[in-house]
Amino acid sequence: MEPECKKRKTRAISTFTWELRPVLSDEKLCEVELLEAYAAPIINTKQTSCLIKQLACLYPLNSLPHIKRVRTCREKNTDHALEIIICLLRDLNGTDVPNGEVSLSDLFPEGKADGIGLGEPFHVKIPAYQPLTRPQFEAASQHWPTTFHENKQVTDALQGRLFNAEKRAKMQTFMEKAIEAAKLGKEMGMEPVGAVVVNPATDEIIAVGHDCRNGSNPLLHAVMVCIDLVAYGQGGGVFNHNKYPNCHFKSLESFSDDHVINVGKPLLPSKDHSSTGAIVNGLPYICTGYDLYVSREPCVMCSMALVHSRIRTVFYATSSPDGALGTKYKIHTKKDLNHHYDVFKGLMKEECQLLLS
Amino acid sequence: MEPEPGTGTGTAAAAAAAFRPPERQEQERWMQRALGTAKEALENGEVPVGCLMVYQNEILGQGRNEVNETKNATRHAEMVAIDQVLEWCGQKGRDRAEVFEHTVLYVTVEPCIMCAAALRLLKKLLFLLNLVTDIPLVVFGCQNERFGGCGSVLNIPTDDLQHSGAPFQCIGGYRAEEAVELLKTFYKAENPNAPKSKVRKKQ
Repeated sequence: MEPECKKRKTRAISTFTWELRPVLSDEKLCEVELLEAYAAPIINTKQTSCLIKQLACLYPLNSLPHIKRVRTCREKNTDHALEIIICLLRDLNGTDVPNGEVSLSDLFPEGKADGIGLGEPFHVKIPAYQPLTRPQFEAASQHWPTTFHENKQVTDALQGRLFNAEKRAKMQTFMEKAIEAAKLGKEMGMEPVGAVVVNPATDEIIAVGHDCRNGSNPLLHAVMVCIDLVAYGQGGGVFNHNKYPNCHFKSLESFSDDHVINVGKPLLPSKDHSSTGAIVNGLPYICTGYDLYVSREPCVMCSMALVHSRIRTVFYATSSPDGALGTKYKIHTKKDLNHHYDVFKGLMKEECQLLLS
Repeated sequence: MEPEPGTGTGTAAAAAAAFRPPERQEQERWMQRALGTAKEALENGEVPVGCLMVYQNEILGQGRNEVNETKNATRHAEMVAIDQVLEWCGQKGRDRAEVFEHTVLYVTVEPCIMCAAALRLLKKLLFLLNLVTDIPLVVFGCQNERFGGCGSVLNIPTDDLQHSGAPFQCIGGYRAEEAVELLKTFYKAENPNAPKSKVRKKQ
C-alpha cells in the first residue's frame, strides 16, 4: 500500500499545473494575538501542584482556558526545570508596578501566597486565543504552550494535500466543462465566465451555465444561471434559457434511482458549518450538498445567492477585483449568516486567466 | 419633459433633473401597498416580504418572495420586481440604467446582501457617467438581522466596490412594526418547505 501511495503523489505533482488553496476565515488566517504576562521559574518542583492550586484561586485566568499554566524550561543550563504563569499584566491594574519590573511580593498580596519555591518573575507573551490552524499553533507555541484541537482536513488543505490525484483529475474535468461553457458564452457576446454544479456524492453534473449578463437581464451571472438551472432540474426554475443552448441541466427523472446527496457534510468540518437536511419528500433541496466550479471568483450577489442556495463547496480559478469569496469579503465564512460553505481557489488558474484576457 | 435628443448623457441629465424624491406621505402610501403584497406571500406559504418599484409615480414592478414555488432560493421579492422592471424596459425600449436610476424600491424588509448587490449592479451605467444622485433608491420597513445587506450584516450600498455598479441611498423604519409582525407570524408557523434543521430541533 505505502509505495503505491507515494507513486501517486509524485504523479500528481507532475500532472497538475495548478495549486489549490482553501479560502479560510480571517480568524483562521490571522497572526496569533499575544497578551503580556508574568511567569516565574519553579525552583522547588515539589511545590508545583501546590502553586497551581494557589494561583488558580489568586489569578484564575478564566478567559484563557487554552493556556497551559506550567511549561518546561527551554534553556538548558539553568537551575530549574519548570516555569509557571503567574498572572496577566492587566491583572495588576491598580497596583503600582514601577517600570514593569516586578518582584514576587508585588504579585502575591500579603498572606495570600508564600511564593514558596518560585524564582524571580519575568516577562512573557502568551497567546490570547486558542489556535485554529497548525501554522497558528506553531506560532503560538513559540511563546507559550497552548492546547490545540487539530483539524486534519484544514491542515491538509493548507498544505495542499487535501485532494489526491484521482480527485484532482475529476476536479479538473469539471473546471474544463466550466471553461468550455465560458468560451461558448463568449461567442454569444457574453462575459467569459462559466460554471458547473456537481453532486459530489455521485460525480454527476447537475447544471452547466455561462454568463448571460449581456443579454436581456444584466443580473444573469453564470452562478445565477446555474442556480436557476438546478431549480429547473427539480421542477422549478424561472428564466427562459432556450436562447442559450449551452446552458443546460440534468432533470430529476434522469437521476439514477439511488441518487445520493451528502447531507450537510462539509469538506472542512468546523463549528461554523450549519448542517441542513438535503432531502424533502425524497427530493433534493436547492443546491444542498452540491459543489460549484466557476472560472472566476463570484461577486457579492452571486456569493450570497450561494448562501441562500445552501451550496457545499465552491471551487474557483482566479480572483475578481470585487470578489466576495476572499477578495473584498468572505461571505462563505461570515458568522452572522445561517449557512457557510468551503471555498478553494486556484483550480486551473492559468487557463481561466487566459479566458479573461 | 422634452429631453434633448442626441447624447445619452444629455437625456439622462434631463431625467435626473426632473426626478424628485417622494414625500414622506407618498412613501407611506407605497409602503402600505408593499405590506399588502407581503401578506399575499404569507398566504402562499412564502416568507412574507413584499415590494414595489416605482418610477415616475408608476408601479413598474411588484414582487413577493417566490422561493418555494420556483425552487430557486434567489427569488426574493426584490429580484422578482427587478425582473418585471427589466421586462418593461425591454418592451418600451427604455434604457434600463436610466430607469433604475429614477426608480424607488419600497420593500417591507431590509434587502438582503444578494438583493442589495443586485440593486448596485443595475445602477452601473449612470455611475460611469458621474450622475450619481442623492435620491434614496430603497425605502424599507424593518431590519433584516439575518441577511441584511443595507447595514445589518454588511453595508453593500455604500461599501467601496468599484467594479460592482454604483452606491445608493437607503432609508429604513417605514411601518417596521407591521413588517416584523408578518415575519413573526410566518416563523411561528415554520416554513413547511424548508429542510429540517438540526439547529432548530435543539431549540
